[in-house]
Amino acid sequence: MKMDMDMDVNIKKNYPSYVRGREIKAEDIEEGRVSYNLHKPNIIYSFTAGQAISKFLNGLKEGKLLATECYSCNRTLFPPRIFCEVCFRPIDKWCEVKDSGVVETFSISYIDPDAKPLEKPIIVAVISIDGASPKMGIMHILGEVEPEDVYIGMRVRAVWKPESEREGSITDIMYWKPAEGD
Amino acid sequence: MTFNEKIVNVRELKHVEGKIELYWIYTSGEAGDKFFKALKDEGKFLASKCSYCGKTYFPPRIYCEYDFSETEFIEISGEGRVRAFAVATLDSYEKPLENPEIYAIIDLDDTDGCIVHLLGEVEIKEVFIGMRVKPVLKPKEDREGRITDILYFKPS
Amino acid sequence: MNVERIKGLKFHKKQDVAIVGAGITTFKRRLNETGKELSYYAAKQALDEAGLSIKDVDMVVMGSAPDAFDGVHMKGEYLLDGSGGSDKPYMRVFVGGGTGVFAPIAGYWHVASGLADVCLVVCEEKMSSCYPHPQSAFKYIWDPILERPLKPNLIWIFALEMRRYMYVNNIKHEDIALVSVKNKANALDHPSAQLAARITVEDVLNSEPMALPVRRLDVSPPSDGASAIMMVASHIARQLTDEPVWVNGVGWALDTTWWTNRDLYFPRYVAEAARMAYKMAHITNPRKEVDVAEPYDPFDYKELHHMEGLGLAKKGEAHILTREGITARDGDLPICPSGGLLGVGNPIAATMGVKVAEIYWQLAYRAGKRQVAKEVTTGIAQAWGDLMQIGTVMVLSNKR
Repeated sequence: MKMDMDMDVNIKKNYPSYVRGREIKAEDIEEGRVSYNLHKPNIIYSFTAGQAISKFLNGLKEGKLLATECYSCNRTLFPPRIFCEVCFRPIDKWCEVKDSGVVETFSISYIDPDAKPLEKPIIVAVISIDGASPKMGIMHILGEVEPEDVYIGMRVRAVWKPESEREGSITDIMYWKPAEGD
Repeated sequence: MTFNEKIVNVRELKHVEGKIELYWIYTSGEAGDKFFKALKDEGKFLASKCSYCGKTYFPPRIYCEYDFSETEFIEISGEGRVRAFAVATLDSYEKPLENPEIYAIIDLDDTDGCIVHLLGEVEIKEVFIGMRVKPVLKPKEDREGRITDILYFKPS
Repeated sequence: MNVERIKGLKFHKKQDVAIVGAGITTFKRRLNETGKELSYYAAKQALDEAGLSIKDVDMVVMGSAPDAFDGVHMKGEYLLDGSGGSDKPYMRVFVGGGTGVFAPIAGYWHVASGLADVCLVVCEEKMSSCYPHPQSAFKYIWDPILERPLKPNLIWIFALEMRRYMYVNNIKHEDIALVSVKNKANALDHPSAQLAARITVEDVLNSEPMALPVRRLDVSPPSDGASAIMMVASHIARQLTDEPVWVNGVGWALDTTWWTNRDLYFPRYVAEAARMAYKMAHITNPRKEVDVAEPYDPFDYKELHHMEGLGLAKKGEAHILTREGITARDGDLPICPSGGLLGVGNPIAATMGVKVAEIYWQLAYRAGKRQVAKEVTTGIAQAWGDLMQIGTVMVLSNKR
């Protein structure tokens, strides 16, 4: 199969034959060796949660996880939405799912959102929720467990903030902890 | 099918506040670096001329956008003529300005380009289209290699 | 509920589309040039290789990823003059990391439909403008209500996907690290390369942890750069060259944004996109019919993941091909002979230069030191992006 003969003849030229661009270092900017402009805007947003997620957040305040059901594909959708994106029709029913689930996958993060090192690594996981359709889950943090003890398939349970401190946010669940034997 | 159990009480609708915590450092690029360094260090104005069609760009660029040919840098006086002007009475947050500012598009002599900048040392009612103007720079020690190294253009 | 769909393809091509030139700048963490200047370098080089001038160009397509990198909130328009779009029909397309193959797909529509005979496609990214870190811009792709309060870093989703992929298929990190070793070494022959190096599997496994299982050397770097390709109709191609490279198929697909609602072990979005492109290109057995491929490799596991999505390996078996050297530059199925994103760099959209442009150079036998050993007829380029969501695929061939 290989074309050993005439290979050199076949290869005409090395493209790209040149590449342009002047590399600079962070210090070139810090020390003013290249001219630049710095702009630090002040941009603030207000994100409306909409119908489904407002109801979901209100549920969190009461310590409940709410989901919606589509009778056409028979899925229990979590997090809830007001329409089924597969059947493209309105949902049929609101329901409550459990505050427990299974770790589908996890990561041990050593960095914060700005890629700066974290003092203590945190464990993040995708958790499929009991009572929702298979693989329907959310991303959240794991706690009360050492990184080396986490495994895929581990059962976990939500640890809620005290009711008085809940504000209708995803962080009303502080983290999820191992629930073996519960 | 209906969107059942719809929230009608607006107090039950939630929102979340968020802030975009980014900032940017824009390099001036190859042409910009040359332009701003000449302005800062020598108080000179540079433009660039297309080696193919002769179009002269201000602010300078390393390429002609219509021929895609390279350009060569030339020195210009920095003086020019007002093509259009506007009087700003509000700042960018729409707050009234104590002293209204005159912004003008200025056609630079010996170029096909122009610059948007402030006019100074002139009353609003004295400004006219076609008025000749020249740049007033910051003192050399205050210049930073930015467009604000030009304080304003004044009648010449 | 796993819906597998083969969509009917209703397709009337007005004319065949060929690539006749490509250009690329150097890729570096920080370049002094503005985005416009980088676009100009790449576009000019592509024009020169094709033997065309900007006046010959009918339409221009620009590809560039989030505005938040360059920090110009009308990036397409801003980059127009450096891309040669002045006074021409011009558009910018953007599908996150998938843009590097989506922009040429958009260029393909322009020519295949007969609207343009000559279309210049330019991709640009200047990530270094964004502070405190280019990764900070990714904070704003998360759901602002359900995910952002958890203070995620984008690496999280890849770490989660990588772990799931490793778990379901029982793959070891050592097997995945081989991809990084291969691609960074391949990049030694690429003049644009930012992170070309000879490294070992141990180097990868011992590198700084970011979000485990992802470590520093599993990841491609943020970069500045630009790339361009010339796409022309067949009657123009005939005038320019005896060896055009034809675009025989294009495909793209997006999976749901509810990414915590799907199993991450297999890239369904890539499989869907590939199915569309293969159907158009009459490819039925990709493993046999594809000679060289440039799947998107921002992470080492992603190359394997995408090979499986593209049907170049069976599910969970891509790492075996890597281990046996089949995906090496002198192997039977060379993968990422350019050095990929891991070795050359990852200026999001501009990675067109190591994906579509590389396959073009390979099929035109112009890749010089990077030229794969085997005889090549058909190659594929693929990109991926958004919330692990889009697959974009292009099938190229030096035979029509």
